[in-house]
Amino acid sequence: MARKKNDNWVELKDQPVPEGSHLLEVDDLKMYFHTQDGVVKAVDGVSYTLDRGETLGVVGESGSGKSVTSLTIMGLIDMPPGKIEGGDVRYRGKSLLEMSEHEMEHIRGNDIAMIFQDPMTSLNPVYTIGRQLGEGLRLHRGYTKEQATERSIELLRMVGIPNAEQRVKDYPHEFSGGMRQRVMIAMALACDPDILIADEPTTALDVTIQAQIIELMKEMQEKNGNAIIMITHDLGVVADVADKIMVMYAGSPVEFGTADEIFYGASHPYTWGLIRSIPKQVKDEKKPLTPIKGNPPSLVNAPKGCPFSPRCPYAQDICRNKKPEPHFVGEGHYTKCHFASDPDFIKKNAPSTSRTQNAEGGEQ
Amino acid sequence: MAEKNQGAPLLHVEHLTKEFPVEAGVFASRMNKKRVHAVEDVSFDIYPGETFGLVGESGCGKSTTGRTIMRLTNPTSGKVVFDGKDVAKMNKKELKEMRRNMQFIFQDPYASLNPRMTIGEIVSEPLQIHNVMPDAKERLEYVRSLLDIVGLNPEHINRYPHEFSGGQRQRVGIARAFALKPKLIICDEPVSALDVSIQAQVLNLLSDLQKEYGTAYLFIAHDLSVVQHISDRVAVMYLGHMMENSDWKTLYDEPHHPYTQALLSAVPVPDPDVQRSRKRIILKGDPPSPIEPPAGCPFHTRCPIAQDVCASGEMPELREVKPGHFCACHFAAPNPIKGASVEL
Repeated sequence: MARKKNDNWVELKDQPVPEGSHLLEVDDLKMYFHTQDGVVKAVDGVSYTLDRGETLGVVGESGSGKSVTSLTIMGLIDMPPGKIEGGDVRYRGKSLLEMSEHEMEHIRGNDIAMIFQDPMTSLNPVYTIGRQLGEGLRLHRGYTKEQATERSIELLRMVGIPNAEQRVKDYPHEFSGGMRQRVMIAMALACDPDILIADEPTTALDVTIQAQIIELMKEMQEKNGNAIIMITHDLGVVADVADKIMVMYAGSPVEFGTADEIFYGASHPYTWGLIRSIPKQVKDEKKPLTPIKGNPPSLVNAPKGCPFSPRCPYAQDICRNKKPEPHFVGEGHYTKCHFASDPDFIKKNAPSTSRTQNAEGGEQ
Repeated sequence: MAEKNQGAPLLHVEHLTKEFPVEAGVFASRMNKKRVHAVEDVSFDIYPGETFGLVGESGCGKSTTGRTIMRLTNPTSGKVVFDGKDVAKMNKKELKEMRRNMQFIFQDPYASLNPRMTIGEIVSEPLQIHNVMPDAKERLEYVRSLLDIVGLNPEHINRYPHEFSGGQRQRVGIARAFALKPKLIICDEPVSALDVSIQAQVLNLLSDLQKEYGTAYLFIAHDLSVVQHISDRVAVMYLGHMMENSDWKTLYDEPHHPYTQALLSAVPVPDPDVQRSRKRIILKGDPPSPIEPPAGCPFHTRCPIAQDVCASGEMPELREVKPGHFCACHFAAPNPIKGASVEL
């Protein structure tokens, strides 16, 4: 099985995506953790597809399984305690879950790269930036040390780090938070990956720096055509970058659709709750927020029916007893709610958006 | 909210400055001239019952301002007058008395509650310290009622902090701060560690309690939409200086300082239509180090409309551009960065 860089191993990245399939297909993925307290259903039936040039926004509160989903795709979950209980992840038609660790090593960084929330803990403090940037290139591309350094300088310049020739020799602590996140992006893009998974890439940063980093990620995507999976709890960030949005709650998606469908045509009470919870920028009068009552459920003793039913203001008996199946509101736009098929229910309870206000001739 | 601002301010902060020596040690202050200029010449007033928001990026000195007001650290210079008395000149006894009326809510609901105390003990501790309710039974009843008010089950009075979620812990912190019915509560990033749905619960709770008890808040946060939501007046800080300060509406509608304008425009709006149509100002670079702050206006290194005058001399004075609206910029004007508008 061992594949060296010089044998006739064909880069998966260079092969066309098989007819009828997508760049990345996640199909009913289930990742459970077997702990002393019981089985934690961290990822419980996640499905989506992604193509090149697309950005998928994954939103949800802490503990909703948004990070574990992407770590599972990358094969970065320790098993045990983790166990894949079902489903599949296909990258260019090939199952990532069936690959050997050796093959996965080739995928990670080369085909699918990841950037993390905290740039300080994800960079190694005892190695120079240049060495860490070049590591992937030397490993995946067989670059020499000199070639790797040269390319590292190029990459640093690309992500807007001034004085790159000097900075490449610096250590992570000599960079500011925003600069470190730029280095992380440079590192992730070093091998020109197909998919960039960004797990809360701007949460630790200030707003003005966040704006810089998001702009940089968009620019890089335009240039390289890679797909992005943007994991965040900030609806503002997904509104800025995402083409498609998956809203997750208690380990599974509750709603999936295009950005416009989620922001202007949401049909799940949890999505409504999220939208209502954010303080609106208002011009005149301030109204109290409408929070979602209660707390997210424990993933060990998940509710029997709809996971959101204990907090849902519209929950009926059916919600507490039966798990809702995805209901397709539109093509590619689905909602896991028993009442999503009832347009009156949605019309009555959905929050007003800037579009509905415009349609009604309201202000703005 | 202007009618609220009649009469004497509850808290008056005048030319408050706080510097820290860069290196710790006995001789550090004498040998090492390097200092972190955390807070530089900050002045503002807070009136009874209002919420004063303090926003800025990390390292701008907003938390240090809050801590210095409560004298958790001593100010380097300047005046803090709370309820008619100068906090900086208080002795230990007076300080304790002052803290009966000024309480603190911390950012991290995990670190700010003692894990070895039950939440009942945590909430009743301020009462014991100030000997407000000597009768144990009465105190217990009062603590139970407090827990009920902040939305916790009074039955859980004997539970420990680890048994609660982040949002619930923050409610414990709020109950503790309200136990003495203080006149002012300094809230240092009270919701930034919480999820959005929980954040909204806590913000509503804070507003409700304020309506009920007439407590004033100094609300410190980095999230502009949260600050706008809760505050009557808002001040923007950058590198230890106060750049702009006004009622919330004017500040968000018509920022006069280029930094405020840039900050507002950097916040991503959860509305794709708005996001696509608006022009954003993306500031270049990072904030300078507070150890060696630039001469002149501290923002001139990143300011898109900086001129020669900004880079030299003193920091521009915080001047009143409109009644109740102060701005520290040579070129203060409504939305000073042209070609970019702050869309709401």
